[in-house]
Amino acid sequence: MNAPPKTDRGILVFAIWAVLGFLGLGFMLEGMALNSYLVALVGVALILASFVAHIIVNAVFDQGFTPGETALGIGAFGVLAIVFISGWLVGGLSMPDFYAGLTLFGALSVGFLAYLMTRYGLRGAFSHFHRKSASLEDPK
Amino acid sequence: MSDGGAIWLPLYGLFYAAVTLYWARLAARANHNTETYFSAGHSLSPWIAVLVLAGAATSGWFLLGGATEISAHGFGLPALMEAGIALALPGVLFFKRVWFVAQRLRLSSQPELFRSYYQSDFLVVVSTAVAVLFAVGFAGLQLRALSRLLAALTGNAVSPLEVGVLLGLVLFGYVVIGGMRAVGYLGAVQTILLGAAIAGFAGAALIASGGFGALNAALKSLAVGDPGGLRFVVAGVIRFSAGLGRDGGQVPTATGVANLSLAMAFMGFQASPLALKVVMSTRSANAFGAGQTWVTAGVFGGLIAFGVAAVGAAGLANPDLAVPGLLASLGAKSPWFMAWLLIGLVAGVQVMAGLALLTAGEALVRNVYKVYFHTALSRAETVNVTRIVIGLLTLASVLMQSLTPVTLSALGALALPLSFQLWTPLLGITWLRWITRPAAATGVGFGIAGVLLTEPLGYQVLSFLGLELPWGRWPWTIHSAAWGMAANLTAVLLISAITNRRAFGEEAQEVQRFLQETLRVGSRARALRSTAWSAVLAWLFMAVGPGLLFGNVAFGRLTAHGGSWRVGMPSIWAWALLFWALGVALIWFLAYTMEMASPYRHEIPPYTPRPRLRADQAAQERERLRLLVISGTVAFALIVLTTLSFGG
Repeated sequence: MNAPPKTDRGILVFAIWAVLGFLGLGFMLEGMALNSYLVALVGVALILASFVAHIIVNAVFDQGFTPGETALGIGAFGVLAIVFISGWLVGGLSMPDFYAGLTLFGALSVGFLAYLMTRYGLRGAFSHFHRKSASLEDPK
Repeated sequence: MSDGGAIWLPLYGLFYAAVTLYWARLAARANHNTETYFSAGHSLSPWIAVLVLAGAATSGWFLLGGATEISAHGFGLPALMEAGIALALPGVLFFKRVWFVAQRLRLSSQPELFRSYYQSDFLVVVSTAVAVLFAVGFAGLQLRALSRLLAALTGNAVSPLEVGVLLGLVLFGYVVIGGMRAVGYLGAVQTILLGAAIAGFAGAALIASGGFGALNAALKSLAVGDPGGLRFVVAGVIRFSAGLGRDGGQVPTATGVANLSLAMAFMGFQASPLALKVVMSTRSANAFGAGQTWVTAGVFGGLIAFGVAAVGAAGLANPDLAVPGLLASLGAKSPWFMAWLLIGLVAGVQVMAGLALLTAGEALVRNVYKVYFHTALSRAETVNVTRIVIGLLTLASVLMQSLTPVTLSALGALALPLSFQLWTPLLGITWLRWITRPAAATGVGFGIAGVLLTEPLGYQVLSFLGLELPWGRWPWTIHSAAWGMAANLTAVLLISAITNRRAFGEEAQEVQRFLQETLRVGSRARALRSTAWSAVLAWLFMAVGPGLLFGNVAFGRLTAHGGSWRVGMPSIWAWALLFWALGVALIWFLAYTMEMASPYRHEIPPYTPRPRLRADQAAQERERLRLLVISGTVAFALIVLTTLSFGG
């Protein structure tokens, strides 16, 4: 009995995020602690590298993001965005922190859109989110 | 620990525990039932097996033990830095052939291999004992070091025992739930985490030391101010000392033969039941060549030769930067990095510990208890009893870490050298058909005696019984692995010469015929055979043997009387790096050019032995069990009585 490729893919995805993702998070936090945009930028680059590596693994195994991964990714993105905006509103962010956060969210958003467009095409990417409910469809 | 550390370490720890249980659950679901618990249905992906082998062979030992050795005593044991090659060498030699044999006879563990080929109960028991030593002793030692480190980093907010229990619970949880599949799936992630952690530790050590140049400048001032001058050299070929504990601590122990024999101990891991368990659970042998060459020797060998050595060197130059100090200072400034590195270290220890627990549990229940005492045990019952035994082994290990650390240390020290003694029966199966059954069994017996007589456990037991040996640990600066192998080889050669070489069982003859027919090497490899031998011997001599004396001065010499290091780093470290690179080339040459671990394109049909009538064993098994219980009770009573009478 062969191990399903889904499992092999899962192991690789976990390994990528456990190493590159957490290292990136570490550099982001280090950059914020040191008030160094450059160090935080290394963190952003590593997180983006994890994202790219994840997509490469998906391509190698001819699979997309699983529903769990999508939910976790969007959830984490949302939580981080709320933390970032709250921090900005209460004035707890220095300028390097602010730029670092902006770079991360900007890069992730652009990257995510670029991924959708290259995978599904411009129209397909939109349709991926926008689905008419059955009641709104024309009865034919 | 800083406030940040109090948050990040538990957070990362929780995440790690959640990941292990997630994969254990996935593995359990993929297992479907108890049929594939022990070997994952022999379906582990080759790349997963390669990673698990590299991770388990490296484990947390090199960071916890290797770096500490360099920090405390310097670069006198370059064999430590060449460990990647020493670990890969037996992998190239054995894995492909063992996998072929296992596929042909449908075997799933080393004890089964020994039973089928040699029909030797003794070898089965030895293999089981080695697995138990790895599970309780070797893994226990690493878990103990880790528990103490974690407890210290929390400012002793939790005790080492509590940390040990937590680590043991996580380990027990995923091994018991998912079996070999969980060990494989999780092992791949753990190995990658370990590799990243070694690189991270090296980076942190270099940054804390002010960079590679500053680190070497500190080492230079250490060399200049060291009148003994033994921190950066191998101290001669051999010293005829009485051994540790008997020579008054005055004799330098880091000699050429000390290095060679230490490398032999490292070579024991890939001949252990642990490594072969992974090999036999893999669905293809095609990745062993690449795995041993590029992953074990290349990546992990490089991480050890440079990364672990850099961590050790930082601790040597500044004792505050030894592993515990490095983590503490990192915890104060960057707790997220400290937590990440520690999780990598935990993963490194657990990849080996999990594999060891599963292998030991299976060997005890499936290869000993079921075969000799309860053949009627069903598969589901076997798995359940194994789970209980794994729990007991984990408990024993956790308790020994806190209650009997000296005994744990003595037991842990036996695992690698005893495992190295299994080379001779494995060589008999895979390459040297002239090694007979009595020779293999007697050789291993002599090897065990050689190891025990040169390790603390052996001479302390003898001393307790009133027999004082005139030597201590590792006499003549030779590691017990080599003493054992000297006795082992002598016995094997002599007994093979005088016993019948055709007296093999049906399965053994089939293995010999099968390997000869299917793994016949090409003419190019045959023509290069003497070159390969010469290359291996030359590498062993120069990289981990007496040739290391050239390494003392090859790249310059710096002492209290002057001189310089021509490449800006200790000559012996540069020598080790050079021979690590040459070692990778050697492993590649053996694996591919010599076809020892090259890919294959054979279908391996299972061998069907002639049907044999099996008599009802129930009565004999009950009698054996009764005898076991009685002799166990008597032995326990005798030990207690002797201890009470003569003192512990």
